[in-house]
Amino acid sequence: MEHEETYLLMMDALDGELAEAQHSELEAHLRACPSCLQEWQALLAVHTLLQQTPALSPAVDFAQRTLARLPNRRVRIWTLTAIYALLLLGGILPLALAVWLVFILRPVLSEPTILSSISQSIGQALQVMGTIVWALLAGLGEMVVQQPAIVGWLLVLLGIISIWGGVSRQLIFQTSPRQTS
Amino acid sequence: MNEEQVWLEQARQGDKAAFGKLIEAYQTPVYNLAYRMLNNAGEAEEAAQEAFIRAYTRLDSYNPEHKFSTWMLSITSNYCIDLIRKRRALLLSIDEPLPPHPALMSDNSKGPEAQVVMNEQQAMVQTLLQELPEDYRQTVVLRYWYDLSYDEIADMMDTTVSAIKSRLFRARRLLAEVGQEAGLDPVRDSAALTAVS
Ligand SMILES: [Zn+2]
Repeated sequence: MEHEETYLLMMDALDGELAEAQHSELEAHLRACPSCLQEWQALLAVHTLLQQTPALSPAVDFAQRTLARLPNRRVRIWTLTAIYALLLLGGILPLALAVWLVFILRPVLSEPTILSSISQSIGQALQVMGTIVWALLAGLGEMVVQQPAIVGWLLVLLGIISIWGGVSRQLIFQTSPRQTS
Repeated sequence: MNEEQVWLEQARQGDKAAFGKLIEAYQTPVYNLAYRMLNNAGEAEEAAQEAFIRAYTRLDSYNPEHKFSTWMLSITSNYCIDLIRKRRALLLSIDEPLPPHPALMSDNSKGPEAQVVMNEQQAMVQTLLQELPEDYRQTVVLRYWYDLSYDEIADMMDTTVSAIKSRLFRARRLLAEVGQEAGLDPVRDSAALTAVS
């Protein structure tokens, strides 16, 4: 049997998962191979040490001090509920308003001339927006080509803003102040 | 519903005292895990507190089908791993002088001699554990102190059972090697052979 294979048997032995036939296989190899026996003795020593070392407990007032640092869940629950309700209203109100408007204006809207003029004006608005976006993109492209330094400065500025965003988030969302014992 | 489930339900509704019961029940496993990982009493206490605070704020995401202890240990060990990596990123020295664990000093119930032996044993364990990379250390600690199966450890560390097996394999061989260097007595021939069967 190869040494490497023996190592795997040793691991199973440590985990208490060695089958009956493998017991004798491992034992026979250990009796014949001094280097594997040495490895096994060292493995067993560490294994036994870890198994026999009790867990460590924190200081006696640990639970009390931790309790004092807990954030207020009730406030959090209420805040979340309020935000949720606001979002829900924010979504539902305009929708309800639109449905109501459509309902009121139904007779007028069903006139074919009005319908066609509405779709026409939407089409025109889209066209105007397309032109504006296109012009903006083209301008941006030109600026990148002609003034790379400005782009560099913008990137630096973005970096600074994001760092400050991170710092202020840390400050705002920190839990209760740390307690020094 | 058992006692723990009642506490959990009350804590979910914002009852801090109920969560206090859970802290009392799990403070030793949580603190022990943090101490084994961080090897520093002050940092371990800070990390254990932080783990409980995180658990409390994230109670809604706790799935009652899992054991609360496993969930708690997973929060703790992930937090410790993050801390170790951050510490390394900040280039702070990991070899700073470490205060001894206060519990080792104050427990005299076993008599002074037994206490000295126990302190030496704990110190040896910490020396050995610190030689391991943090993910190996995590695997060893979860396996030996919490009796978790390979499956549970893999789940907790978000990896496969075979990855955990190979991690533990290498960790044990590394520990055996360092143990010999640190003067840990190998198990004698006869005892080693009987341990096989
Ligand atoms: Zn061999």
